[in-house]
Amino acid sequence: MVQKNINNRLNVDSEIKEKIIAVFQRVFETVEIEETVSQQNFPKWDSLNHLNLVVELEDEFDVSFEPEEIVELKNLQIIKDVIINKLQ
Amino acid sequence: MKYYIFRNSTIENLFSGLDANFSGYGDITVPDVTADVYVWFYLPTFKADLRKTAEEISVYYETLQFIHSKIPENKTFLIFTLQNIFELRYLTGDFLLNKSIENFNTQTEKLASQYSNIKIIDFARFTKNYASEQLIDWKYYFISKMQINPRIAKDFKKWFAKEINAVLLKRKKCIVLDLDNTLWGGVLGEDGISGIQIGGDYPGNAFLMFQEFLVELGKNGVILTLCSKNNEQDVLELWAKNPFIVLKEEHIAAYRINWNNKAQNIQELADELNIGLDSMVFIDDNPSERALVRQTLPMVTVAEFPEQPYLLPVFMEQLLRNEFAVYALTNEDTQKTAQYKANAERAQEQKKFVDFDEYLQSLAMELTIEAATPFTVSRIAQMTQKTNQFNLTTKRYTENDIQNFLNAGNPVYSLSVKDKFGDNGITGAIILKKINEISYEIDSFLLSCRILGKNIEEAFLYNILDKLKKQGIKEVQAQYIPTAKNEQVKDFYDKMGFQQIDKKQDCLIYKTDIFSRDFTVKHFYIIHD
Repeated sequence: MVQKNINNRLNVDSEIKEKIIAVFQRVFETVEIEETVSQQNFPKWDSLNHLNLVVELEDEFDVSFEPEEIVELKNLQIIKDVIINKLQ
Repeated sequence: MKYYIFRNSTIENLFSGLDANFSGYGDITVPDVTADVYVWFYLPTFKADLRKTAEEISVYYETLQFIHSKIPENKTFLIFTLQNIFELRYLTGDFLLNKSIENFNTQTEKLASQYSNIKIIDFARFTKNYASEQLIDWKYYFISKMQINPRIAKDFKKWFAKEINAVLLKRKKCIVLDLDNTLWGGVLGEDGISGIQIGGDYPGNAFLMFQEFLVELGKNGVILTLCSKNNEQDVLELWAKNPFIVLKEEHIAAYRINWNNKAQNIQELADELNIGLDSMVFIDDNPSERALVRQTLPMVTVAEFPEQPYLLPVFMEQLLRNEFAVYALTNEDTQKTAQYKANAERAQEQKKFVDFDEYLQSLAMELTIEAATPFTVSRIAQMTQKTNQFNLTTKRYTENDIQNFLNAGNPVYSLSVKDKFGDNGITGAIILKKINEISYEIDSFLLSCRILGKNIEEAFLYNILDKLKKQGIKEVQAQYIPTAKNEQVKDFYDKMGFQQIDKKQDCLIYKTDIFSRDFTVKHFYIIHD
């Protein structure tokens, strides 16, 4: 039972990650998006694209980020955590 | 196309994908950049105190004038009208704000009427599609000063691209119309000339509005044609007898009413009118006909006709916006259907004569060849944009480009043609470039397809070459640059007595020694120059 739950969670987790990567690919117009992508290591991720990214993520997952959260969405891992948190 | 955009808020996302630079917020210095188009895109700032916003706006016009005075005269300056997208309704104050916005727009319009490089874009035509809460997302405004909701950026980009096309004169030329259930309700062959639904009650009233719309399009220079599976006799009888039909034979430049395949008919119409398939829009209520045309003639634009006649006004709006957007009509546009019709009559006339010269003589042609003036520059630029078939180099120029040629001392001539059937207006142009004291190059030579088939091109070119000869010019160079559409002129310069001296890729380079040649034109071309 516990094992099943964990499996389930892992599935949801990777599904959401895939979706986020697809959004990144759309916004940055490139297929080369690593899981480690962050504002520091990805030059195209400037302040304007950050907002484009946020708009697309909001639409994709039908969620709304608060301004305080938007500032914090600095890498893919954080984005995923915040979204999963919102979807629960 | 490179843009430089003056703005007072965050709008980068509205213009992303374009080659654009932005001013600082409210910054009015004109930097030393090479932009093709300068844009003014201001929005009233969002403030609770509307008087403050009104005050800001009251100096916008002066600022704008200042910017305009610094922009090179030969560059287009696009000005978005000011629109109030955030309305707080107090008892007082909103009158003031609306008044200041109105003032700015009126003054700008006046300025645009004085300077040909200023073009106005009516931003209300975009904003009216949205409610206030769709236009603004306050979260994004407060975190990044985006006054326009980033969610509608995509729509804005599409809309702006269409507006730009309209400003730069890229529109379709011709509509191909079906009849039954497109121009009226019902089937003519079954319901009879008084049984079809046109005028009166629904759906006849909706079809009537559509017909009236088409008549207006015709007046605005769009060529109207028919392509329908009916008995031609029935349609002619309908035109003669049904008083409710407003789109009549006189509005139609050419038609194919028969039982042949529509793709074949459309191809024939294109040939007869001498226009490209890519300048035609096909309108038919029958999805299978639309599919056939889409498949066999992918160049033709096929419009999605509404299933319910009451949606025709929406369809009309879309059609105008997507295919026939126009910035400013020139005189030639409004006369076009009449001209194409006169051409068809000329073609009939041609059959009566055996001897071609005799036919040409009977036309009583008058050619007016004159150096470009401020009044003709716009039409000449339009022709370089739209002429595909009889165009030796197919170089596309804007009004400003033509002005640049003139400023640099390069002669530009326009040709107007009149004959006994009507006045075709300006239908030809030549742009010359000076190489040195004794030689010139023909940069562009083009003729509208409306006047082809009468050897006018020879008379026009010879007249120009003769002018150069009289100025002491010895040699003229020219070139033919092949495109998908100008095959018919590939040996034009050979026919005109030029020698091919080189070939670079597909481009043929010619020259001719004009001092030794005679450029007398046939006596029946009456030339005013």
